[in-house]
Amino acid sequence: MGPHSGPSLNLHKGRSAVTFGLFPSDNPRLISMANYFNTLPLRLQVAELAKCRFMHLDEFSDGVEALRGKKMVVIGCGAQGLNQGLNLRDSGLDVSYALRQAAIDEKRQSWKNASENGFTVGTYEELIPGADVVLNLTPDKQHTSVVNAVMPLMKQGSCLSYSHGFNIVEEGMQVREDITVIMVAPKCPGSEVRAEYVRGFGVPTLIAVHEDNDPRGEGLALAKAYAVGTGGHKAGVLQSSFIAEVKSDLMGEQTILCGMLQTGSLLCFDKMVEEGVDAGYASKLIQYGWETVTEALKYGGVTNMMDRLSNPAKIIAYDLSEQMKDIMRPLYQKHQDDIMDGTFSSTMMADWANDDAELLGWRADTAQTAFEKTPAGDMDISEQEYFDHGILMVAMVKAGVELAFETMTAAGIIAESAYYESLHETPLIANTIARKKLHEMNATISDTAEYGCYLYNHACVPLLKDFMKPIKSDVIGRGLQLNDAGVDNARLIEVNAALREHPVELIGAELRGYMADMKRII
Amino acid sequence: MAESGIRLDGLSVDFDGRFRLNDIDWALDAGQHWLLLGANGAGKSALAAVLAGHGDRLGGSLSGLPERVAIVSFEAQAELIAAERRKDDADILDVISEGTPAREMIFTDDRDAALAAELCTMFGLEPLLDRAFRKLSTGETRKLMLARALSSRPQLLILDEPFDGLDAAAQAQLLSHLHALAETTQMVLVLNRMVEAPAFITDVCWVSDGSLHACIKKDDEAWAELAQLMHLKTSDLELPPPDPVDRLPSLDPDKALVHLSKATVRYGDTVIFEDIDWTIRPGEHWQLTGPNGSGKTALLSLITGDHPQCYVNDINVFGYQRGNGESIWEIKRFIGYVSTALQWEYRVGTNLRNVIVSGFHDSIGLYTKYTDEQGRIADAWLEVLGMSDRATQPFTSLSYGDQRLLLIARAMVKHPPLLVLDEPCLGLDDMNRQLVIALIERICAGGETTVLYVNHHSVDRINGIEKMLALGSVEAA
Repeated sequence: MGPHSGPSLNLHKGRSAVTFGLFPSDNPRLISMANYFNTLPLRLQVAELAKCRFMHLDEFSDGVEALRGKKMVVIGCGAQGLNQGLNLRDSGLDVSYALRQAAIDEKRQSWKNASENGFTVGTYEELIPGADVVLNLTPDKQHTSVVNAVMPLMKQGSCLSYSHGFNIVEEGMQVREDITVIMVAPKCPGSEVRAEYVRGFGVPTLIAVHEDNDPRGEGLALAKAYAVGTGGHKAGVLQSSFIAEVKSDLMGEQTILCGMLQTGSLLCFDKMVEEGVDAGYASKLIQYGWETVTEALKYGGVTNMMDRLSNPAKIIAYDLSEQMKDIMRPLYQKHQDDIMDGTFSSTMMADWANDDAELLGWRADTAQTAFEKTPAGDMDISEQEYFDHGILMVAMVKAGVELAFETMTAAGIIAESAYYESLHETPLIANTIARKKLHEMNATISDTAEYGCYLYNHACVPLLKDFMKPIKSDVIGRGLQLNDAGVDNARLIEVNAALREHPVELIGAELRGYMADMKRII
Repeated sequence: MAESGIRLDGLSVDFDGRFRLNDIDWALDAGQHWLLLGANGAGKSALAAVLAGHGDRLGGSLSGLPERVAIVSFEAQAELIAAERRKDDADILDVISEGTPAREMIFTDDRDAALAAELCTMFGLEPLLDRAFRKLSTGETRKLMLARALSSRPQLLILDEPFDGLDAAAQAQLLSHLHALAETTQMVLVLNRMVEAPAFITDVCWVSDGSLHACIKKDDEAWAELAQLMHLKTSDLELPPPDPVDRLPSLDPDKALVHLSKATVRYGDTVIFEDIDWTIRPGEHWQLTGPNGSGKTALLSLITGDHPQCYVNDINVFGYQRGNGESIWEIKRFIGYVSTALQWEYRVGTNLRNVIVSGFHDSIGLYTKYTDEQGRIADAWLEVLGMSDRATQPFTSLSYGDQRLLLIARAMVKHPPLLVLDEPCLGLDDMNRQLVIALIERICAGGETTVLYVNHHSVDRINGIEKMLALGSVEAA
């Protein structure tokens, strides 16, 4: 998933979608909109899903030239909109913000964000007709109404940019033929997009061109220049397709990235309390534990994360994760199937049409869980202790990453995409939990990701009920109390081999290798 | 010695109009052995001499001195020699005076004869005792001075560079004697080389510009900081050169580096400052002051391009009129920048060498490979800072003060036309402030970089900065 792009991190939450009359049913013109992916023949579906390529730095030697002197007008001045705009302007590009008349008149936060930062702010009518590139950085659920509002105003031969493909792929938005449609999706929250740029770096970014809307063949050049303008080229750019982005992004965010971490947090906390572990300790172990163990994942994949455990603990974590993978496999498959055939998006859009009743209800439920309500204790927990006392959490991360990856690739998403939407982004989401628990995670990710996360959680918690019954505090909360850390050689070799030969590890090693000369030197 | 120990309260002392100690507050308690450190001319010898009764008191008080105070110093030595010479001049008889024999200088009624004999043996002075004092060599005189002082059984012994001029054997003997003496006698030592500091030293203070700074207990951390300060203040190091390959475009020396016209920053209805005109020309070092919240940092960040309102102000920096398609990196390459905020931001797991190299790229963290030459330049900076042995250690393992020093070197590595130091001493203890100021003074003296220094501590004045802009009362000086 891409935070903004992907799990589409944004700060527009809570804004009423109804104000903008977003729903297909509200607008007769849109009733014909259909799931774009489902309209394609299988041949093209397979081809689009398989698009994902790591681009090399020398492909960006033209810098921002393709955009120099062009008018870029951003719609949406939340975290992504504002921070991308700040970066683009600091890269020498001409950026302004188009807001609804009401947002300007009422001096809403979006107006303040844009004007206090010295940007030109105007209405759609004032700014869109002069725009060479319109950057749609609003939340998914506003896309339809926003695009329908701006499209008639856009000049001939201009460009419309998205940072998530939901509107095109799942809602089937049809953009005027003369307009170039691209996607530039920084794979981090807006605040990070800015912070990394200021550091002189950037965040990994996914770019794509909507093949149906590339009338002059300039889409890729524009997307590349945009990525340079936000600093993304320094951190690594993936060239993908709208379809691959959406289908892999939705899958990743619902399962391993947000769903698994939420389910794991709730189950592990309740188990520790049941086992008599101090609640403050349990709360802290989970809140910061995901971040700590997935940091190891970031550097050296599942293998390195598992290698941080003692040999006996590693073998136990391996066995636990294999059990969980068998139990959860059908759930992962169901999520992927529902994403592929559009069931997921139509279910969610129905909730949009029902004033987000399910989403808001689940959000309130999450706030009432014991984990969420128990503050982290003030004891010290060393970095290694998070592994030693969090064996089950490590096993859950391994199970979720591998299952998500296996399920995505089985569905035709290529390994590169599957890697980025599973393993690569897990530490980013874990970091949001460390900041303020599940509340922060769900506040930071998009409503789309949040909705999918709750769907997963509601299915997964009961699914793991029997598995959790015999679990004791040795694997979650207190650590193995062994006098002898000896293990059987043959068994250890078997486990190490299984870890290292998993396909997510093979592609991970390759991609991390590509990134080596771009990545920060540590 | 009085139970309460020796107390200097607000003591100011003049030395023949040549040197002044200002407002010294110092407490020497029983059981403490002090080491005074400082650059040449800082006043450490003067301060030691005050304890021996030298100088003319201008104000303040000195109390608790014991009866028997002995001092060994070059000044005292010179005085004794001068006194001998006067005696000679005063001799009206037309005979060649040999002057006072060395023996008479040591074996006096008020000294411990047995101890004096022992010391003479120790220093190999016996064959010289019948020679005239002023015929002795410098080293011999020094040994004699030491023997004189030690044999007077002082309650307070002041030794100003006691090891200077002694051969290795004599140094070792003296040191072991002092170690034994430390049990019973309070000592104040002045040393230029910290490595010579005996283990019995308990407290250290740093003297600079006739004032006493940083009285600290001698522990490892403080010791390392002092060593660094001594290094910066006293070693004769050149600033490393810029990257010979990747040079900055040269600027027209007749054009202003920075020109702000009616600069204004406001948030909503709140005006932080408005209508500030400010021109910074090459070679004009500026100090920017003002109370908290007067917008010092905001004003600076208009110049550095970090403030988003730089696009709605009339700003010309390094020939770029802002807001005309230039990128922020084209501006930043001309600026070296250090602030407390930068240090907070600089939380990336990288080593000391990489932090300095990152200054070539204006980045926080290092994201590209560097050339061998850049690596060598970084190492040369580490040498200046006295951190050569730590090049590959993580930045985060450094003390707060060392991090600040390293970030100043990072800012300087490309020899920027403009160096912006936003409260570079903020949050630092006195010792680290001294360190930072010492480094900045070296940079100011270097010539090619114009310094823009922001602070509200008037004590942290930097020699070489003449111009001042005070916010709050918005008048350019």
